[in-house]
Amino acid sequence: MVGSMDECILVVDDDREIVKALGILLEGEGYRVLKAYDGLQALDILSSNQVRLVLIDVMMPKLDGLSALMRIREKQNIPIIVLSAKSEDTDKVLGLSMGADDYVAKPYHPAELAARVKSQLRRYTSLGDIHAGCRSTEIKNGRLLYSTEERVLYADGEPVKLTATETRIMELFMRNLGRVFPAEEIYRRVWEEEAFASENTVMVHIRRIREKLELNPKEPEYIKVVWGIGYKMEKK
Amino acid sequence: MDTKWKKSKKIISFVIFFLGVCLTLEGLTGLLRYNPHGIRISQIDKLLEDDYQQSDRFRSYISNRLECFLIMATGGQNLWDIWRYGSDVYYGEGYDYEGYIESIFNEIYEDGYSETAEWNISPDDLYNYLKDLYEFQNNYLEIIDSLSDMKAPKELESYRDNMESYRDSLESYLENLEYYSGYSNRSAKHLTEEQKKQLAQKYHESIKGDQNLLYTILYDGKVLYSNSDLLKTDGNLNTPDGYNFLLYFDGEKVRIVKDGSELDVYGDGYYRDDSLWEVPGYRNLQPAESLKKVKVYMAAAKAPVLYTEGYGSSTRQLESSLYWIQHNLNGRRIFLINSIVCLASGAAFLLLSLFCRKSRRQAATDIAGIQAKIWVEFKVLLSGAILYLLYLFILIYVINGSEYDLWQEFFFQYDYNYTAAISSYGPLLLASIPSIFWIILFWGIYFLWNDLRHNKGFWKRSLVAGLCRKFSAKELNRPLAKKMARRSAAALAAALAYGILALATVILNSVSRPINYGMLLLFLLASAGFLAAEYLIGRKNAETALDMETLSRRISEIRNGNYDSCSTDAQFAGHDLEKVIEQLEDIRHGMAKAVEEQMKSQQMKVELIANVSHDIKTPLTSIISYVEFLKQEKNLPEHVMDYVKILDEKSQRLKNMVQDVFTVSKAASGELPMCMEQLDFGKLLRQTLADMEEQIAGSSVTFRTQLPDSPVMIMADGQRMYRVFQNLFQNALQYSLSGSRVYVTLKTDKSLAVASVKNTSHVEPEKGKDFTERFARGDQSRTDGGSGLGLSIAQTFTEACGGNFSLDIDTDRFIVNISFQIQP
Repeated sequence: MVGSMDECILVVDDDREIVKALGILLEGEGYRVLKAYDGLQALDILSSNQVRLVLIDVMMPKLDGLSALMRIREKQNIPIIVLSAKSEDTDKVLGLSMGADDYVAKPYHPAELAARVKSQLRRYTSLGDIHAGCRSTEIKNGRLLYSTEERVLYADGEPVKLTATETRIMELFMRNLGRVFPAEEIYRRVWEEEAFASENTVMVHIRRIREKLELNPKEPEYIKVVWGIGYKMEKK
Repeated sequence: MDTKWKKSKKIISFVIFFLGVCLTLEGLTGLLRYNPHGIRISQIDKLLEDDYQQSDRFRSYISNRLECFLIMATGGQNLWDIWRYGSDVYYGEGYDYEGYIESIFNEIYEDGYSETAEWNISPDDLYNYLKDLYEFQNNYLEIIDSLSDMKAPKELESYRDNMESYRDSLESYLENLEYYSGYSNRSAKHLTEEQKKQLAQKYHESIKGDQNLLYTILYDGKVLYSNSDLLKTDGNLNTPDGYNFLLYFDGEKVRIVKDGSELDVYGDGYYRDDSLWEVPGYRNLQPAESLKKVKVYMAAAKAPVLYTEGYGSSTRQLESSLYWIQHNLNGRRIFLINSIVCLASGAAFLLLSLFCRKSRRQAATDIAGIQAKIWVEFKVLLSGAILYLLYLFILIYVINGSEYDLWQEFFFQYDYNYTAAISSYGPLLLASIPSIFWIILFWGIYFLWNDLRHNKGFWKRSLVAGLCRKFSAKELNRPLAKKMARRSAAALAAALAYGILALATVILNSVSRPINYGMLLLFLLASAGFLAAEYLIGRKNAETALDMETLSRRISEIRNGNYDSCSTDAQFAGHDLEKVIEQLEDIRHGMAKAVEEQMKSQQMKVELIANVSHDIKTPLTSIISYVEFLKQEKNLPEHVMDYVKILDEKSQRLKNMVQDVFTVSKAASGELPMCMEQLDFGKLLRQTLADMEEQIAGSSVTFRTQLPDSPVMIMADGQRMYRVFQNLFQNALQYSLSGSRVYVTLKTDKSLAVASVKNTSHVEPEKGKDFTERFARGDQSRTDGGSGLGLSIAQTFTEACGGNFSLDIDTDRFIVNISFQIQP
């Protein structure tokens, strides 16, 4: 039980089965779930209830998701996750630029969605004002925070358990956000040995790190492969 | 029948008109040309008189003869004038009368040259003087000749010519002087009685053979000269047989009997200008005293004939003036009658043609129709030829060939200044032009006028215009190759004809020394024509070449995907390639339409797939969610858990498939965004293999890799190429024979990097099956778990990245080759 009943989540989708499924999922996680089936209804509920997070579908009758999203953003700053069957990059960019905090394409994996909801809520509630406590020894990137002093990586404010090699790899990535490292270089700098057939070794470690800190390890958000070139930490 | 009659009517009416004009012209010009001696045309009765004895000519002949006979009888001083008589009368051809008389004189005056002279200088002195002058001049010329040996300048040459001509003229002057010095003395000389007699005798001998005029001259009752015994000298006026005219001079008066009745010779007895007979016996024209003893009988033949002597080796016509008088008069009369008849009948025909002028006009139109078919050039040439022939005709017939060299005389009078001579004798010249000339001229002008009146666009019917047309309008309907071939042939033919003509001109002009100007002119004309033809053909060819340029440019435009039609096609109107360009534009238009439609349909397809996949995704979301809940259910029976597991797997597969279908359709329509960058092909393969290591490790196949250590740089979208190899490896894992090996190799060949994935299929691959086709699978039952899009996606992505994808199936071995250009 991570969530608490006073954390109220609004689920908006014109497909009742999906709403119901989401209700089951999120209530299972310990949140209170309010349900709406179109944009107008969602706005109604928002005006009369204290809501911590909104999950909203794009294509809906009466008022579509993106329009509703803009109306909500006029008043509230709560995290909003867009759920959509439109899975293309352009759709994602559009949704995020309209003020969404996250964009999850259907069909999503329930566990992943639950993780994203948690992540958003945690950032909104506990890490709301993270910049205040940000020290120079800390490197922040999205949900990740790396303390160079402690040599500890935090994801959504919680420390991630990493091995020594993994920590060194993460330190390399966190210190060089966005830079692409060929596998050989990673190997040389982390293992401090001459690289030989390093691809596999590096890849295995990176996969393990992904499993520990990515919400969906199959579609990594932070540690990405640049195919044919190397690996990099995406700057958020 | 009706049309036939119409046709005949037309022909008849035109023939009538034609005859009318011809005859009228013949008659009219004949009358105008008719030039009777001393008789005006108004005295038509005299002109038509068929008795020559009624003519003035006859009367003056008779009175002149009488005068001659009187002189002969009395030995008058002016006997010379007798000989001069009648020099202006035509006595027939081949009779050198003047020469004859000359010989007689020379015979008589043996002591020819005079002893007395009327000039201050004696002819001998003049002769000697001129001879000296001539000699001096010869000497002078000799000097010049010797000068000319020393390469004399041209001026000297011409000067010498002048001197020579001067010498010639002096020579002729000298001759003239010799002649005139003798001649002038002749008339000045007084004849002796004996000489007078000799002269009279000679004259008698020269005329006595003419039996058309019988005469007997008596003096003092004694016969002096007579050429016939038929004339009775008994004072009775009896005409012999065959003679119907008798004149008797009895010493004082003249009596004339014609056709048995005596004529009134003297009228009122006074001689005037218009008196018929100029004979002695008028009150104001009394004969001299010496004539009182003279009696003259003269008889004229009713029908004079031509007398000759010495038939055979030297035929000579005798004096036969009466015959010629009669002959000429008769000829004139017949000519006049002919002319009048012609004029009358011509006028009648013209009048007749007035009644059928409608059909005549139709006939003229028909003729114009025929004329229209003749090339203008031919007509111009024909007209020129006719005019030239007429000119020659006038020259030969009128000027050179006319009676007694009339024109030569005129020209001589005007010192061969033809313009002055013609302007002065122009009317006479015009009158002497024969009728046929005017008729030809008239019809020439008539047909020209007819042509111009009925046939509009005179020049359009010329050969040149026809040729021009041939090269434009008509040619356009012919196939292009034929047209071009024809044009080349035309150019060749023109060149050939021109060459032959040039050769002919050269040869002809080298043979005939005086340059053949006609040929030269023709050659110049041919040159101009040839150049014009070459120019026309050349221009046409250049135009076609330009059009071809445009055409090829447009073809390459279309090849490069520019389907915007050009609307400037008016500029090709009338060109050879007009049709071709038009058709190309049609193709372009059609292609633009097709491409647009294809794009539209592709768009629609993508949209459809997007919509369908979207519509599938929504229920799929629910399915996946609820399956997840089911999975978390603790107390489910074992078999239900199995079902849930199957549901979970299938729903995941469905999810992948929907995504793949969407991707493939987008990629096929070219809407897939590509992110091209330089990357290491070998590294890409290693990364992919590393990424899939777990899967590989968990499978029953082994991967054998052979990748170069040095980087192989290519240009591609890494994300997409990862997907390609992921699919290929997955395929290999899925369809490989258990325990077999998958070979992954990367080889470089000059500028090409080739990655191959080879595996052995666990089922026998279907022969001839295209595995890159969408939804194609190694297993037709479609239960093996793949979306059927793996290879399709691999191929599409590879090609979208600019690579080459090929699939070989060798028995059970699957070989996929992916090649890229190596980046330097």
